[in-house]
Amino acid sequence: MEDSLGGSSSKDNCGIKEQDRLLPIANVSRLMKQILPQNAKISKEAKETMQECVSEFISFVTSEASEKCRKERRKTVNGDDICWALATLGFDDYAAPIRRYLHRYREIEVDHNNKANHQERGINNPQERDELCKLR
Amino acid sequence: MVSMAEEEENGVSIQLEFPKGRVKKIMTLDKDIKRVSSEALFLVSRSTELFLQFLAEKSANVAIEKKRKTVNLEHVRMAVKRHQPTRDFLLDELPPPSQPAKPDKSTQPVARPKHDAPPPGTRRIDQFFRKPDPQNPAESPENPGQAQSPEISAQAQYPDIPALVQSPEILAQAQSPVPVDES
Repeated sequence: MEDSLGGSSSKDNCGIKEQDRLLPIANVSRLMKQILPQNAKISKEAKETMQECVSEFISFVTSEASEKCRKERRKTVNGDDICWALATLGFDDYAAPIRRYLHRYREIEVDHNNKANHQERGINNPQERDELCKLR
Repeated sequence: MVSMAEEEENGVSIQLEFPKGRVKKIMTLDKDIKRVSSEALFLVSRSTELFLQFLAEKSANVAIEKKRKTVNLEHVRMAVKRHQPTRDFLLDELPPPSQPAKPDKSTQPVARPKHDAPPPGTRRIDQFFRKPDPQNPAESPENPGQAQSPEISAQAQYPDIPALVQSPEILAQAQSPVPVDES
């Protein structure tokens, strides 16, 4: 019964495993507990619902950003697209902290790139970076 | 790897709460999404953390309003409803309320007629719409020898009524007295 979430259950039949479309409940639960008062409890159903909510949020923001890329004929969704999507979808409260994170992330990335003497940017994953190294 | 000093400079950590691989998997479920920069992945992950914290806090506030110590689905639903941007994309995705398979002890008990004894000389109206119980001839409307209230003759007059009375709501209406003009 723990997989049954009423209206969302139809998604379970798409052949997509829950572990592929949901964030781990342990992480979700931990983050919730950080926010809630110490004596508060969270029902199992509420935790599972939160799991679904955050996956929906990810899909929602990503598809908005992706749509912008499509219209502008770009293939890669970047950080600015995400900032734009958040503001467009009404989450402008996040705009300031997210821009700070972006700024910080770029500083650190530049730093790493300089240290490692890499010239490439916008690499999706370490595998690609390794492959590019092999090509040089 | 990133040093702790780098992470905490300016008070902005780049340590993520959610596993990057999983966030990316969820993003790429949408087949229109082809490539995602590591920047974008980072920001989606971070903004998702913010969203979760926001929703958790609002849900907890609802629970506190309702004087509950356990945050449940209905508190989450109320929190979703109260924030328009969230409501727009999320309300329809939530499980429907009041799942019959999962009785929630904190909600009000279902308003079913109690099986206590009716006052003497009367009968519960739902008794009239059940088949006569062979073990309890006293409840059979076809047993005129027993002391019966006037309602029984009503059933004889309107034999079609049982078919209408299927839901508790109609029974409840049948039980409520006809309003009397008190002028």
